[in-house]
Amino acid sequence: MSRAVPVYLDYAATSPADPQVAAAMSECLTRDGVFGNPSSMHLHGRLARERVERARAQAAALIHVEPQQLVWTSGATESNNLAILGSARASAKRGRHLITARTEHKSVLDPCHRLEHEGFQVTYLDTDRDGLIAPERVREALRADTVLVSIMHANNEIGVLQDIEAIAAICHERAVPLHVDAAQSAGKVGLDVARLGCDLLSFTAHKLYGPKGIGALYFAPPRRAALQPLIFGGGHERGLRSGTLAVHQIVGFGVACELAAERWAADAAHCERLRARLWRGLSAIDGVLLNGHATRRVAGILNVSFSGVEGESLLMGLGELSLSTGSACISESDEPSYVLRALGRDTELAQSSLRFSLGRYSTEEEIDLAIAAVTREVQRLRAVAP
Amino acid sequence: MSPSAMNPAAANPGGEDPLGPRVRGLFAALRHAGEPAATGTARVLCGEAGREQRGTRVRFMLRLAGKRLVEVRYRAYGCPYTLAACEWLATQLEHGGRDSIGGPADWAQHLGVPPARLGRLLVVEDALRAALAVADKTVTNS
Repeated sequence: MSRAVPVYLDYAATSPADPQVAAAMSECLTRDGVFGNPSSMHLHGRLARERVERARAQAAALIHVEPQQLVWTSGATESNNLAILGSARASAKRGRHLITARTEHKSVLDPCHRLEHEGFQVTYLDTDRDGLIAPERVREALRADTVLVSIMHANNEIGVLQDIEAIAAICHERAVPLHVDAAQSAGKVGLDVARLGCDLLSFTAHKLYGPKGIGALYFAPPRRAALQPLIFGGGHERGLRSGTLAVHQIVGFGVACELAAERWAADAAHCERLRARLWRGLSAIDGVLLNGHATRRVAGILNVSFSGVEGESLLMGLGELSLSTGSACISESDEPSYVLRALGRDTELAQSSLRFSLGRYSTEEEIDLAIAAVTREVQRLRAVAP
Repeated sequence: MSPSAMNPAAANPGGEDPLGPRVRGLFAALRHAGEPAATGTARVLCGEAGREQRGTRVRFMLRLAGKRLVEVRYRAYGCPYTLAACEWLATQLEHGGRDSIGGPADWAQHLGVPPARLGRLLVVEDALRAALAVADKTVTNS
């Protein structure tokens, strides 16, 4: 069976906007819609402000926080930058040490590297072979001058879920704020910030069927976390993030969050079932290895290494699928996945991985097509290998 | 209906292919991959380079009939550029001889290999040069 368009299995990279999201956004763009600047005092501005605050309430409800505890950003990358750079710089007089993990997203690691250039010290925690961080490793790494711990909730490459509650409890014993990158878990699992216990949390719209270019950062009351802005010019968002608010994107994000709050459990069950089907099919191929803990994971991500097969060639041979490799992919870099290397995978296995990420619109037919395509291509590439 | 099924990109799927059409075509049809034909009188000479752990391993196999190169085959583990380069070189050698192949810089230009991947072509070159050296030695001694 041939298809005109590849099967989309890259929901961890981004998701299509829900039609309700797109409809809500389109109401905020044109002359007959809510296009005003939310900072303006006139009616157009006030209508836009009302939509922005409604969306803030929708986004806050998804993670069970108060709306005023959210700051709009351009996405998880900016949220992570604001959380890490903003917290560290605001607390620099108290200490200059941070803790994070080697398997974090680059939007966490790169701000940490930036802070090292500014004189901060950063401890990069190792994970176990399943990609999990033992909370006790955080306790051991905490120092008197630690000003922030940043640990992601769900890993973007392998999907494993960290024990944030336990890590937060340890951080709070020492009154050290905890930042959580929840870009891959918001809308995928039930997120309750009070239960997680974190002080800062980043999430983004486009991973949960909202638009690209909009995200949010939750921050706890100032007694628990201090923030210094990164962007100046107008004092929007209570001075933490200047710039005219993108009403259509914020409204889309709000609707996406409201839908996610209603649907996340059904979506997760759907993805779990399809992921199990996918794994059953792929594990019938010889030399297949699951990357990351088998059960402590978000439902939609499956990362698999295929021994004896180079990952980029495998990916390029799968023209009927849109998915990502855990390795360097077609990027400029020629390096294997640092996440898989951190799990202890050798270079060959780290280079031979694919990340399948499923979503709300994935179907059994698509999974079966993916299994057949991967099986065919693995066999082809192994047949030409020395 | 899934987004894949209703995606308007169906009218123009793909966009710009990061591999380019030449590499894509070679990669899709690795006609010279495998072993040379087994014949009673022919000699098969091999050259190999690289390691899977480093991302690239290539083996070239040259079948000589007397002093004449009659068949080129390869086995390769590596990125699409590596496989495409092997396929292209095997075709060139069979049809134009060794004078037709040039060096890695020529291959990179012909195939549009990005600078970050030039190291892969050096592995291909090492394997090919090793096979050709064995062939030269064999012909000289015969």
